[in-house]
Amino acid sequence: MKKAAVFIFAIVVVSAFLFVSAYSQEEMTFVDNSVFTKPERTPSIFRHDEHNEKAGIEECNECHHVYEDGKLLEDESSEDQRCSDCHELKSSGNTPALIKAYHTNCKGCHLKEKKGPIMCGECHLK
Amino acid sequence: MAEPAKSEEKIISDIGLDVGISKLTDDRIEKEINSVIKNETGARLKTYVETCIHCGLCSEACHYYLSHDNDPRFSPVGKVKQTMWEMLRKKGKVSPDFIKKAAIIAHTECNLCKRCAQYCPFGIDIAYIITVVRRIIHRLGCTPQYIQDTAHSHSVTMNQMWVKGDEWPDTLQWQEEEAQAEIPTLRIPLEKEGADIMYSVIAPEPKFQAQLIYQAAVIMDVACVNWTMPATMGWDNSDMAMFTGDNEIMGRIKRAHYETASRLKVKRIVMGECGHAFRSVYDMGNRWLGWQMPPIPIVHAIDFYYEILKEGRIKIKKKYETPVTLHDPCNVVRGGGLHEKARYVVNAICENLIEMHPNREHNYCCCAGGGVINCGPPYKMTRINGNRVKAEQLFAVKARGAKTLIAPCHNCHSGLEDINHHYGIGQEIKFIGDILYEVMEKPEVEEGEKE
Amino acid sequence: MHDLYNFVTGPLAWAAFIVFIAGSLYRLINMLYLVNKKEKFIYTYMSFKYSFRSIFHWITPFATVNWQRHPVLTIVTFAFHICLIITPVFLLSHAILWDESWNISLWALPDGVADIMTLVVVGSCIFFLVRRLVLPEVQYVTSASDYVILAIVAAPFITGFIAYNQWINYQLFMILHIISGEIMLVAIPFTRLSHMLFSPFTRAYMGSEFGGVRNAKDW
Repeated sequence: MKKAAVFIFAIVVVSAFLFVSAYSQEEMTFVDNSVFTKPERTPSIFRHDEHNEKAGIEECNECHHVYEDGKLLEDESSEDQRCSDCHELKSSGNTPALIKAYHTNCKGCHLKEKKGPIMCGECHLK
Repeated sequence: MAEPAKSEEKIISDIGLDVGISKLTDDRIEKEINSVIKNETGARLKTYVETCIHCGLCSEACHYYLSHDNDPRFSPVGKVKQTMWEMLRKKGKVSPDFIKKAAIIAHTECNLCKRCAQYCPFGIDIAYIITVVRRIIHRLGCTPQYIQDTAHSHSVTMNQMWVKGDEWPDTLQWQEEEAQAEIPTLRIPLEKEGADIMYSVIAPEPKFQAQLIYQAAVIMDVACVNWTMPATMGWDNSDMAMFTGDNEIMGRIKRAHYETASRLKVKRIVMGECGHAFRSVYDMGNRWLGWQMPPIPIVHAIDFYYEILKEGRIKIKKKYETPVTLHDPCNVVRGGGLHEKARYVVNAICENLIEMHPNREHNYCCCAGGGVINCGPPYKMTRINGNRVKAEQLFAVKARGAKTLIAPCHNCHSGLEDINHHYGIGQEIKFIGDILYEVMEKPEVEEGEKE
Repeated sequence: MHDLYNFVTGPLAWAAFIVFIAGSLYRLINMLYLVNKKEKFIYTYMSFKYSFRSIFHWITPFATVNWQRHPVLTIVTFAFHICLIITPVFLLSHAILWDESWNISLWALPDGVADIMTLVVVGSCIFFLVRRLVLPEVQYVTSASDYVILAIVAAPFITGFIAYNQWINYQLFMILHIISGEIMLVAIPFTRLSHMLFSPFTRAYMGSEFGGVRNAKDW
């Protein structure tokens, strides 16, 4: 009986701790995944300013690129658009599908720079 | 029921095995095992051994396993483990004692009935693996004495029972005379070139079951078959060399058999109610000689009876009334697919066929086949204890009324006879031919003509 | 972590797939070479009709006497083999990787379904393990290698499941998952997991013998 009580108490404490620690990340921002119907994974964590500061990214178009006829337009940027404006749920022609576009944009750069998360669960936290 | 199979093993004395083993050296064992494996086996053995996932699903296929209260030593894969796996794992470096054990397993605890091939999800041919073990035992000269003796007989006389050259036509003429008392015009035509059919039997028939030849002659005569029997060697279709792994002798006797038929210019060979002979003539011997299928069509007695009954060449006077059950012999059913024809025949001549279970391709082996009964008296109890499950199967069908047990195969007949006696089942065991002969319409003979 | 990840998903993955594919081809070619060299007669008995008749019966649950005799095992083994093959090929995460690496877009399983299928595989492995330990006829023919191959098969699913759920040390379990998957690929041609390659042939041959020569059912 006593053991059971201790056990239950332990569970309550641990859950409370997890609950609080989850809430403490409230300023964390996520990639907006509202375009996806019934997404399989949680939205990817992404703190925009912190990321860019850490990564030393100055130019918006390093990520917010613009392609025309398969060519990257060096001087243009697309931060005023939503990714999904160009990348549809399915790939069309040279334009990769939205999921793949995200993955290539983030993971591709991380792999190149050998920095940052690269495995599914590192961004899509459970 | 009789006493259950005890696991304490009696020391069996078998001179063929014991003397053979005493002459073995480790070097010789290693050399012969590796020679057989390297020169005589190929993709089959290798693939079978390496594909087996050790799941044990073949176990329940085996009557030895079932009869020994599911003792895993008797499961098909268990027997392979105790023989071939060890030989392969140790690359032939096994002891004479091991060879003795392997010889007993391969020769007396497996009937090569291939039921396990129907239970293995991968279709691994375990009987083939055991055959390779027997081949190794043969090359090492450690084959059990009794069956080795029959192989010697094959080699010397081209028949299984040391029947000498003149004894054979003598026996046929004797049976002809006997049968003429019943049908005066009956002949057993010897050496008739151009007959439709050559009738061949196994050597035990002339040796001590000559009445079977008599019956066959009556059936042939009444059905007006244009038939013949050879007066020379090559009349015996039996083949124990096939079971000892003496493939060279097997080839010689099968060649003699086919060549005799071809010399007589017959269209087909009809053979008596024997299972292993069918396996030899229809499946094994022809392959050794390089024929995909037998060079001359082989017709088993069941098939032949089916034909003459279906064509109405034999009429049935009055069907056999005692309820019967039918034992499906492995070699003609699992080996030749004659189960439905057998049922047609039995139903044509018997009033009441009560099926035993399991039946057809899934019937339990008689435990005599595969040369096991030919290993002789030392192993009689091995067979009887190894087939308690058959006794149970027969008791069950007897309880449902079957008083007569039809076994259209010589080995089955003898094996079932032993089981019948030992377990006290009390069924009468008959060949199909026995019943057919009894119930068929025969030409009426005037009172005066008959003595 | 990047270096390790790059290594296990790069050169190691290449090596694993090459060994798997080349090894499988080698084993199959070697088998056919042996048939050609020593048992050419096998070809004369092979029949498409009877091969497929036999294979079809044995890949259908409960279509054979022996499957009927072991209903639990039959359900487990079919569920196991189906999940074992379908899950890794159509897992969403894997589909993403297929797409990123080879531009192959495969249909993907919903994660919830894949989760259940993974548990089916792991549960089946436990079933097989218990069966090996408990049933005398299986125990008797079990060798150390049987446990090893069972572990090789279970490992990618167990590590994958732990990693996916991010319970403990995600990165470590991802790496372990990738390595164990690669071990399994490499093991297929060179252990008794090769029944994946050979069983269609052994089955087909037995089916042909039973159909063409023995005129009997082999199921």
